[in-house]
Amino acid sequence: MQFFRNKRLFILLIGFIVLVALIGYSLGERNNLTTAEKFINDAVGWSQNIIHTPVAFVTGIATNVRDFKNTYEENQLLKEQLSQYKSLIYEVQEIEDENEELRELLGITETVRDYVPIQATVISRSPERWVEQVTINKGEQDGVRSNMVVITAEGMVGKVQSTAEFTSNVQLLTGFDQFNRISATISRDEEDDIFGMIEGFDQETNSLLFRIIEESDNDLEEGELVVSSELGGKFPAGLIIGTVKEVVSDQYGLTRIAMVEPAADIYDIRHVIVVDRSLDEPEEEGNDEEEDE
Amino acid sequence: MKRLLFPLILFLLTILEGVALDLLPTDLVMGNLLIVPHWVFAFLIYMVIFYDKDSTYHSVVYALIFGLLIDAVYTGILGVYMFSYALVIYIIHGLKKILHGNFYVLILLGIVGIFLADLLIYAIYTSVGLVDMALENYFLLRMLPTILSNLVFLIVIYPFTAKRLSRWGREQLTGNSAL
Repeated sequence: MQFFRNKRLFILLIGFIVLVALIGYSLGERNNLTTAEKFINDAVGWSQNIIHTPVAFVTGIATNVRDFKNTYEENQLLKEQLSQYKSLIYEVQEIEDENEELRELLGITETVRDYVPIQATVISRSPERWVEQVTINKGEQDGVRSNMVVITAEGMVGKVQSTAEFTSNVQLLTGFDQFNRISATISRDEEDDIFGMIEGFDQETNSLLFRIIEESDNDLEEGELVVSSELGGKFPAGLIIGTVKEVVSDQYGLTRIAMVEPAADIYDIRHVIVVDRSLDEPEEEGNDEEEDE
Repeated sequence: MKRLLFPLILFLLTILEGVALDLLPTDLVMGNLLIVPHWVFAFLIYMVIFYDKDSTYHSVVYALIFGLLIDAVYTGILGVYMFSYALVIYIIHGLKKILHGNFYVLILLGIVGIFLADLLIYAIYTSVGLVDMALENYFLLRMLPTILSNLVFLIVIYPFTAKRLSRWGREQLTGNSAL
């Protein structure tokens, strides 16, 4: 009897050591998943693809019924907006043409706004609500790499955390913390732009925390647009993140934090676009060298 | 044949957990309540009560394997679900010896099991600094809705699983289970 009691304690202790070792390993600095994890993710992802299709069909029907109810009101609203957009489109086109001409004159072919979109579908969402993570059905084979930004039509939703061959995990904006942040900016017409970092999510107010690093003379106003900035180096500029809701000072009163309402609906994402910017990196380096000479 | 069936069912439940939140209405998911599906764990409770004998530990082994699977696929932090699920299933295995396996015992042990498993997950995540949530908030916003929603799942699958599992358990004991 004594022996068995000892054995039990022994196993528990070994289990605890294994737990600590595994957690330490997975929380440590690691950029890539191990081969075993990749294999598991791919195998599960393949089955998730199969399961996801009928589930998406059923939930799709439910959403469609809900959409039908407010179709009329939405239609009215959209018609009004459409007439406004028509003139805007014309204006934008003119500006784009002009921009392109000027760029050609200067000999700049690549901009910080260029990217290659990779279309993907969300196949599952982590059941553990503290880990804000979804799985998409595109992986390394399709050109997805970690740290790429993931957007929907409305705006940014997150970034790629880890990749397997055919699937990848996306960390959502709601799961960001000080280790996972993105540089963002608020564009100003006449004065300097405001730079900062998106470095967290406030569950209570459902808003992103935008820490302002460099402030312009004028105060922030409600409703100003926060977009991604090219200064982070990993993703293109000009992707919409959200709008400013409120500005507060941080807990030490040294910097100020803007509460940003995400533009995309982070709780209801089905189709996403992975933003691949890596193609132009070698050429950028080449340009730098030329400048150095 | 039956040996293959358990991994298949558990694997299916693991995958279904990933789309579980899609099935809930958006208002519920968007709100402050954190509902976590522990369906794999719920099935393991059935296994430990109706299938496992006092001397067999199938459910604990499955808890280890599928806990690790959930960790690898859904959270990326290995070991948390594996450790919590296996330990709690082991505890329930011990409690089962005292209580006779029927519907009410299942509900009771189900509540105790989900309570302990989720509490362990909270404790581990808090100690590694992944989660920053006050204990009373955790109980109100996550523990309570999680136990209730998983209890619904536990009751819903009762008619399909309980009898079948105890029959298979008896076959396993007599030794003529078709391998």
